[in-house]
Amino acid sequence: MQPFALNYARPAADLEVSIPYAYDSALQLNVLLDGRIAASDLALLRELGTTTSTAGSKTHFDD
Amino acid sequence: MTVLILTCEQDVTADMVVVHLNASGVPVVRLDPADLTGGVALSGEYVHGAFRGHLWSAGRLVGIDSLRSIWVRRPGVPASRVPEPSDWLTEESSQALYGMLRGSGARWMNHPDAARRARHKPWQLRLAQRSGLPVPATLITTFPQAAREFAERFPDLVVKPVSGAHPQEPPRAVPTSRVAPDTDFAAVAFGPTLLQRRVAKRADIRLTVVGDRMLAARKETSPDAHPDDVDVRFAPADLPWRPAEVPTCAADGVRKYLAEAQLAYGAFDFAEDADGTWWFLECNQSGQFGFVEVETGQPIARTIAEWLAEPGPPEGACCGGRSGTTTS
Repeated sequence: MQPFALNYARPAADLEVSIPYAYDSALQLNVLLDGRIAASDLALLRELGTTTSTAGSKTHFDD
Repeated sequence: MTVLILTCEQDVTADMVVVHLNASGVPVVRLDPADLTGGVALSGEYVHGAFRGHLWSAGRLVGIDSLRSIWVRRPGVPASRVPEPSDWLTEESSQALYGMLRGSGARWMNHPDAARRARHKPWQLRLAQRSGLPVPATLITTFPQAAREFAERFPDLVVKPVSGAHPQEPPRAVPTSRVAPDTDFAAVAFGPTLLQRRVAKRADIRLTVVGDRMLAARKETSPDAHPDDVDVRFAPADLPWRPAEVPTCAADGVRKYLAEAQLAYGAFDFAEDADGTWWFLECNQSGQFGFVEVETGQPIARTIAEWLAEPGPPEGACCGGRSGTTTS
Protein backbone atom coordinates (compact mmCIF):
# COMPACT_ATOMS: atom_id res chain seq x y z
CA MET A 1 0.00 0.00 0.00
CA GLN A 2 3.04 2.26 -0.15
CA PRO A 3 2.76 5.10 -2.69
CA PHE A 4 4.94 4.61 -5.72
CA ALA A 5 7.24 7.57 -5.08
CA LEU A 6 8.16 6.24 -1.64
CA ASN A 7 9.79 3.24 -3.28
CA TYR A 8 12.56 5.72 -4.03
CA ALA A 9 12.82 7.21 -0.54
CA ARG A 10 16.04 7.06 1.37
CA PRO A 11 16.88 7.96 4.97
CA ALA A 12 17.12 11.70 5.36
CA ALA A 13 20.66 12.97 5.51
CA ASP A 14 21.82 13.84 8.97
CA LEU A 15 21.84 17.61 8.77
CA GLU A 16 22.94 17.95 12.36
CA VAL A 17 26.28 19.73 12.20
CA SER A 18 28.04 21.48 14.96
CA ILE A 19 27.26 25.15 14.40
CA PRO A 20 30.06 27.39 15.65
CA TYR A 21 27.90 30.49 15.86
CA ALA A 22 24.92 31.73 17.83
CA TYR A 23 22.18 34.27 17.19
CA ASP A 24 22.71 37.70 18.68
CA SER A 25 19.33 39.37 19.01
CA ALA A 26 20.90 42.81 19.43
CA LEU A 27 22.74 42.52 16.12
CA GLN A 28 20.01 40.37 14.53
CA LEU A 29 22.86 38.26 13.17
CA ASN A 30 24.61 35.02 13.96
CA VAL A 31 27.98 35.62 15.56
CA LEU A 32 31.04 33.38 15.85
CA LEU A 33 32.69 32.74 19.19
CA ASP A 34 35.39 35.29 18.35
CA GLY A 35 32.77 37.95 17.72
CA ARG A 36 32.91 37.95 13.92
CA ILE A 37 29.72 37.89 11.84
CA ALA A 38 29.19 34.33 10.63
CA ALA A 39 27.77 35.44 7.28
CA SER A 40 30.99 37.28 6.50
CA ASP A 41 32.98 34.06 6.60
CA LEU A 42 32.07 32.51 3.26
CA ALA A 43 34.64 29.76 3.63
CA LEU A 44 32.93 28.69 6.84
CA LEU A 45 29.49 28.77 5.25
CA ARG A 46 30.76 26.60 2.43
CA GLU A 47 32.27 24.15 4.89
CA LEU A 48 29.14 23.92 7.02
CA GLY A 49 26.72 23.73 4.10
CA THR A 50 24.13 25.67 6.06
CA THR A 51 23.21 27.78 3.06
CA THR A 52 22.89 24.78 0.77
CA SER A 53 19.86 23.56 -1.10
CA THR A 54 18.82 20.35 0.59
CA ALA A 55 15.99 17.92 0.18
CA GLY A 56 13.98 16.73 3.13
CA SER A 57 13.63 19.92 5.10
CA LYS A 58 11.40 19.26 8.06
CA THR A 59 9.93 22.70 8.18
CA HIS A 60 10.11 24.20 4.71
CA PHE A 61 9.09 23.08 1.25
CA ASP A 62 11.44 25.29 -0.63
CA ASP A 63 15.05 24.55 -1.38
CA MET B 1 11.14 53.08 6.78
CA THR B 2 12.01 49.61 7.99
CA VAL B 3 12.58 46.25 6.36
CA LEU B 4 10.81 43.44 8.21
CA ILE B 5 12.38 40.01 7.91
CA LEU B 6 10.38 36.99 9.01
CA THR B 7 12.74 34.10 9.57
CA CYS B 8 14.21 31.79 12.15
CA GLU B 9 17.28 32.65 14.18
CA GLN B 10 19.53 30.03 12.63
CA ASP B 11 18.91 31.34 9.11
CA VAL B 12 22.46 32.43 8.36
CA THR B 13 21.49 32.97 4.73
CA ALA B 14 19.22 35.80 5.86
CA ASP B 15 22.22 37.16 7.73
CA MET B 16 23.94 37.67 4.37
CA VAL B 17 21.19 40.15 3.46
CA VAL B 18 21.03 41.80 6.89
CA VAL B 19 24.74 42.59 6.60
CA HIS B 20 24.10 44.54 3.40
CA LEU B 21 21.07 46.34 4.83
CA ASN B 22 23.11 47.34 7.88
CA ALA B 23 25.90 48.64 5.66
CA SER B 24 23.40 50.82 3.79
CA GLY B 25 21.91 52.15 7.00
CA VAL B 26 18.48 50.68 6.30
CA PRO B 27 16.58 49.87 9.52
CA VAL B 28 15.78 46.18 9.94
CA VAL B 29 13.51 44.30 12.29
CA ARG B 30 14.01 40.57 12.17
CA LEU B 31 11.69 38.24 14.01
CA ASP B 32 10.41 34.71 13.97
CA PRO B 33 6.62 34.31 14.19
CA ALA B 34 7.35 31.15 16.19
CA ASP B 35 8.33 33.47 19.05
CA LEU B 36 4.86 34.98 19.37
CA THR B 37 3.95 35.51 22.20
CA GLY B 38 7.30 35.13 23.93
CA GLY B 39 10.04 37.24 22.41
CA VAL B 40 7.70 38.79 19.86
CA ALA B 41 4.63 40.91 20.55
CA LEU B 42 2.11 42.74 18.41
CA SER B 43 -0.74 45.19 18.71
CA GLY B 44 -3.06 46.88 16.27
CA GLU B 45 -6.12 49.06 16.66
CA TYR B 46 -8.83 49.95 14.21
CA VAL B 47 -10.35 53.18 15.45
CA HIS B 48 -12.03 56.15 13.74
CA GLY B 49 -11.55 54.66 10.32
CA ALA B 50 -7.84 54.19 10.70
CA PHE B 51 -5.45 51.41 11.57
CA ARG B 52 -2.40 51.74 13.78
CA GLY B 53 -0.32 48.72 14.53
CA HIS B 54 3.12 47.78 15.67
CA LEU B 55 5.41 44.86 16.24
CA TRP B 56 7.93 44.38 18.99
CA SER B 57 10.91 42.06 19.04
CA ALA B 58 14.11 42.02 21.05
CA GLY B 59 13.86 45.63 22.13
CA ARG B 60 12.81 46.98 18.74
CA LEU B 61 9.44 48.53 18.09
CA VAL B 62 8.24 49.19 14.59
CA GLY B 63 4.99 50.61 13.27
CA ILE B 64 3.33 48.46 10.66
CA ASP B 65 2.76 51.56 8.54
CA SER B 66 6.50 52.20 8.81
CA LEU B 67 7.41 49.08 6.88
CA ARG B 68 8.88 49.55 3.43
CA SER B 69 9.12 45.83 2.68
CA ILE B 70 8.51 42.41 4.20
CA TRP B 71 10.79 39.48 3.42
CA VAL B 72 9.20 36.12 4.20
CA ARG B 73 12.32 33.99 4.35
CA ARG B 74 12.16 30.97 6.69
CA PRO B 75 9.52 31.90 9.29
CA GLY B 76 8.62 29.39 11.95
CA VAL B 77 5.05 28.31 12.66
CA PRO B 78 3.44 31.15 14.61
CA ALA B 79 3.48 30.71 18.39
CA SER B 80 5.06 27.28 18.13
CA ARG B 81 7.74 28.03 20.71
CA VAL B 82 5.46 29.02 23.57
CA PRO B 83 5.42 26.76 26.64
CA GLU B 84 2.02 25.35 25.70
CA PRO B 85 1.66 25.50 21.91
CA SER B 86 -1.61 24.52 20.27
CA ASP B 87 -3.15 24.54 16.82
CA TRP B 88 -5.66 27.09 18.06
CA LEU B 89 -3.00 29.49 19.33
CA THR B 90 -1.03 29.08 16.11
CA GLU B 91 -4.08 29.98 14.05
CA GLU B 92 -4.88 32.94 16.29
CA SER B 93 -1.30 34.20 16.09
CA SER B 94 -1.05 33.61 12.37
CA GLN B 95 -4.25 35.50 11.69
CA ALA B 96 -3.21 38.38 13.93
CA LEU B 97 0.30 38.77 12.50
CA TYR B 98 -0.21 38.07 8.83
CA GLY B 99 -3.65 39.64 8.85
CA MET B 100 -2.27 42.96 10.06
CA LEU B 101 0.74 42.80 7.78
CA ARG B 102 -1.49 42.13 4.79
CA GLY B 103 -3.14 45.46 5.51
CA SER B 104 0.14 47.34 5.29
CA GLY B 105 1.30 49.03 2.12
CA ALA B 106 4.70 47.33 2.28
CA ARG B 107 6.16 45.44 -0.65
CA TRP B 108 6.39 41.70 -0.14
CA MET B 109 9.04 39.19 -1.06
CA ASN B 110 6.90 37.15 -1.49
CA HIS B 111 3.28 37.86 -0.67
CA PRO B 112 1.81 34.92 1.29
CA ASP B 113 -1.00 34.38 -1.20
CA ALA B 114 1.37 34.28 -4.15
CA ALA B 115 3.79 32.10 -2.20
CA ARG B 116 1.14 29.56 -1.28
CA ARG B 117 -0.04 29.22 -4.86
CA ALA B 118 3.49 29.09 -6.22
CA ARG B 119 4.36 26.06 -4.11
CA HIS B 120 2.05 23.86 -6.20
CA LYS B 121 4.30 22.10 -8.67
CA PRO B 122 1.50 21.07 -11.04
CA TRP B 123 0.54 24.76 -11.22
CA GLN B 124 4.18 25.63 -11.86
CA LEU B 125 4.36 23.25 -14.80
CA ARG B 126 1.27 24.74 -16.44
CA LEU B 127 2.41 28.29 -15.85
CA ALA B 128 5.83 27.46 -17.30
CA GLN B 129 4.13 26.09 -20.40
CA ARG B 130 2.02 29.20 -20.76
CA SER B 131 5.13 31.33 -20.28
CA GLY B 132 6.86 29.65 -23.19
CA LEU B 133 9.38 27.69 -21.12
CA PRO B 134 10.15 24.14 -22.34
CA VAL B 135 8.68 21.61 -19.90
CA PRO B 136 9.65 17.92 -20.09
CA ALA B 137 6.70 15.61 -20.77
CA THR B 138 5.09 15.02 -17.39
CA LEU B 139 2.30 12.85 -16.01
CA ILE B 140 0.67 13.16 -12.60
CA THR B 141 -1.68 10.29 -11.97
CA THR B 142 -3.16 7.72 -9.64
CA PHE B 143 -3.95 5.37 -12.54
CA PRO B 144 -1.34 2.61 -12.88
CA GLN B 145 -2.41 1.99 -16.46
CA ALA B 146 -1.85 5.65 -17.35
CA ALA B 147 1.65 5.36 -15.88
CA ARG B 148 2.35 2.22 -17.92
CA GLU B 149 1.20 3.88 -21.14
CA PHE B 150 3.22 6.99 -20.37
CA ALA B 151 6.30 4.81 -19.80
CA GLU B 152 5.75 3.22 -23.22
CA ARG B 153 5.65 6.64 -24.86
CA PHE B 154 8.55 8.01 -22.81
CA PRO B 155 10.71 5.04 -21.79
CA ASP B 156 13.30 7.06 -19.87
CA LEU B 157 11.46 8.51 -16.87
CA VAL B 158 12.13 10.01 -13.48
CA VAL B 159 9.80 10.14 -10.49
CA LYS B 160 9.66 12.95 -7.95
CA PRO B 161 7.28 14.11 -5.20
CA VAL B 162 4.34 16.16 -6.44
CA SER B 163 4.58 18.53 -3.47
CA GLY B 164 8.31 18.65 -2.97
CA ALA B 165 7.68 17.64 0.62
CA HIS B 166 9.40 14.71 2.25
CA PRO B 167 7.98 12.17 4.73
CA GLN B 168 8.99 12.77 8.32
CA GLU B 169 7.90 9.66 10.21
CA PRO B 170 10.55 8.43 9.95
CA PRO B 171 12.48 11.26 8.29
CA ARG B 172 13.18 10.35 4.69
CA ALA B 173 14.16 12.15 1.52
CA VAL B 174 12.59 11.41 -1.83
CA PRO B 175 15.06 12.56 -4.47
CA THR B 176 14.19 12.80 -8.12
CA SER B 177 14.95 9.23 -9.19
CA ARG B 178 15.26 7.36 -12.46
CA VAL B 179 12.58 4.76 -13.10
CA ALA B 180 13.82 1.41 -14.38
CA PRO B 181 12.31 0.18 -17.68
CA ASP B 182 10.68 -2.89 -16.14
CA THR B 183 9.15 -1.05 -13.21
CA ASP B 184 5.83 -2.22 -11.74
CA PHE B 185 3.50 0.80 -11.59
CA ALA B 186 0.80 -0.85 -9.44
CA ALA B 187 1.69 1.35 -6.45
CA VAL B 188 0.74 4.44 -8.44
CA ALA B 189 -2.79 3.70 -7.21
CA PHE B 190 -1.75 4.45 -3.64
CA GLY B 191 -0.71 8.05 -4.14
CA PRO B 192 -0.52 10.74 -6.84
CA THR B 193 2.67 10.07 -8.75
CA LEU B 194 4.65 12.53 -10.84
CA LEU B 195 6.52 10.95 -13.73
CA GLN B 196 8.63 13.05 -16.06
CA ARG B 197 10.74 12.41 -19.12
CA ARG B 198 14.37 12.41 -18.04
CA VAL B 199 16.37 15.18 -19.64
CA ALA B 200 19.80 13.97 -20.65
CA LYS B 201 21.44 17.00 -19.17
CA ARG B 202 24.84 18.45 -19.71
CA ALA B 203 24.36 20.92 -16.86
CA ASP B 204 22.08 21.95 -14.02
CA ILE B 205 20.98 25.57 -13.96
CA ARG B 206 19.94 27.54 -10.89
CA LEU B 207 18.51 30.87 -11.94
CA THR B 208 17.87 33.22 -9.05
CA VAL B 209 15.60 36.12 -9.88
CA VAL B 210 15.25 39.16 -7.63
CA GLY B 211 12.76 41.67 -8.97
CA ASP B 212 13.95 42.16 -12.53
CA ARG B 213 17.53 41.01 -11.85
CA MET B 214 18.53 37.54 -13.05
CA LEU B 215 21.55 35.73 -11.67
CA ALA B 216 22.17 32.37 -13.28
CA ALA B 217 24.56 29.68 -12.13
CA ARG B 218 25.50 26.58 -14.07
CA LYS B 219 26.85 23.29 -12.76
CA GLU B 220 28.23 21.15 -15.51
CA THR B 221 27.40 17.48 -15.46
CA SER B 222 30.53 15.41 -15.11
CA PRO B 223 31.34 13.29 -18.18
CA ASP B 224 31.66 10.38 -15.76
CA ALA B 225 28.25 11.01 -14.18
CA HIS B 226 25.96 8.01 -14.00
CA PRO B 227 22.58 8.56 -15.72
CA ASP B 228 20.90 7.53 -12.48
CA ASP B 229 22.40 10.56 -10.73
CA VAL B 230 19.45 12.74 -11.65
CA ASP B 231 19.02 14.93 -8.59
CA VAL B 232 21.83 17.48 -8.27
CA ARG B 233 21.16 17.76 -4.54
CA PHE B 234 22.19 14.13 -4.08
CA ALA B 235 24.73 13.68 -6.85
CA PRO B 236 28.45 13.72 -6.08
CA ALA B 237 29.54 17.36 -5.87
CA ASP B 238 32.52 17.20 -8.15
CA LEU B 239 32.11 20.18 -10.46
CA PRO B 240 31.41 23.67 -9.09
CA TRP B 241 28.63 26.15 -9.77
CA ARG B 242 29.76 28.91 -12.13
CA PRO B 243 28.06 32.14 -13.25
CA ALA B 244 26.18 31.77 -16.53
CA GLU B 245 24.45 33.91 -19.12
CA VAL B 246 20.69 33.61 -19.44
CA PRO B 247 19.47 32.79 -22.96
CA THR B 248 17.03 35.41 -24.23
CA CYS B 249 14.19 32.93 -24.70
CA ALA B 250 14.60 31.65 -21.15
CA ALA B 251 14.74 35.19 -19.77
CA ASP B 252 11.54 36.11 -21.60
CA GLY B 253 9.75 33.05 -20.25
CA VAL B 254 10.94 33.63 -16.72
CA ARG B 255 9.72 37.24 -16.79
CA LYS B 256 6.27 36.10 -17.91
CA TYR B 257 6.24 33.39 -15.27
CA LEU B 258 7.10 35.72 -12.39
CA ALA B 259 4.69 38.40 -13.57
CA GLU B 260 1.77 36.00 -13.63
CA ALA B 261 2.87 34.33 -10.41
CA GLN B 262 3.19 37.77 -8.77
CA LEU B 263 6.51 36.78 -7.26
CA ALA B 264 9.31 39.20 -6.45
CA TYR B 265 11.75 36.35 -5.90
CA GLY B 266 12.10 32.95 -7.51
CA ALA B 267 14.81 30.31 -7.70
CA PHE B 268 14.35 28.38 -10.93
CA ASP B 269 15.81 24.96 -11.60
CA PHE B 270 16.47 24.00 -15.20
CA ALA B 271 18.18 21.05 -16.88
CA GLU B 272 20.30 22.06 -19.85
CA ASP B 273 20.37 19.48 -22.61
CA ALA B 274 22.96 18.83 -25.32
CA ASP B 275 21.36 21.46 -27.56
CA GLY B 276 21.65 24.08 -24.88
CA THR B 277 17.90 24.17 -24.21
CA TRP B 278 16.92 25.01 -20.65
CA TRP B 279 14.15 22.62 -19.55
CA PHE B 280 12.01 23.96 -16.74
CA LEU B 281 11.95 21.73 -13.68
CA GLU B 282 10.56 23.94 -10.95
CA CYS B 283 10.56 27.39 -9.37
CA ASN B 284 11.11 27.59 -5.63
CA GLN B 285 9.53 30.80 -4.45
CA SER B 286 11.86 30.88 -1.43
CA GLY B 287 14.71 28.80 -2.77
CA GLN B 288 18.11 28.84 -1.17
CA PHE B 289 20.66 31.19 -2.69
CA GLY B 290 23.51 31.23 -0.19
CA PHE B 291 25.30 28.23 -1.65
CA VAL B 292 25.24 29.84 -5.11
CA GLU B 293 26.69 33.10 -3.83
CA VAL B 294 29.34 31.27 -1.83
CA GLU B 295 30.47 29.30 -4.88
CA THR B 296 30.07 31.86 -7.65
CA GLY B 297 30.55 35.16 -5.89
CA GLN B 298 27.37 36.48 -7.51
CA PRO B 299 25.90 39.35 -5.47
CA ILE B 300 22.55 37.75 -4.73
CA ALA B 301 22.31 38.86 -1.10
CA ARG B 302 23.18 42.43 -2.04
CA THR B 303 20.58 42.37 -4.81
CA ILE B 304 17.93 41.18 -2.37
CA ALA B 305 18.95 43.87 0.09
CA GLU B 306 18.67 46.51 -2.61
CA TRP B 307 15.20 45.30 -3.57
CA LEU B 308 14.06 45.30 0.05
CA ALA B 309 15.53 48.76 0.62
CA GLU B 310 13.66 50.43 -2.21
CA PRO B 311 11.34 53.15 -0.96
CA GLY B 312 8.07 51.96 0.53
CA PRO B 313 4.74 53.69 1.04
CA PRO B 314 4.53 57.09 2.74
CA GLU B 315 5.25 56.74 6.39
CA GLY B 316 2.39 57.18 8.82
CA ALA B 317 2.27 57.72 12.52
CA CYS B 318 3.67 55.01 14.75
CA CYS B 319 1.63 54.15 17.76
CA GLY B 320 3.03 53.80 21.23
CA GLY B 321 2.97 50.67 23.28
CA ARG B 322 5.50 48.24 24.61
CA SER B 323 8.79 49.94 25.20
CA GLY B 324 11.75 49.51 22.94
CA THR B 325 13.82 51.09 20.25
CA THR B 326 11.66 52.55 17.53
CA THR B 327 13.01 51.94 14.06
CA SER B 328 11.77 53.62 10.98
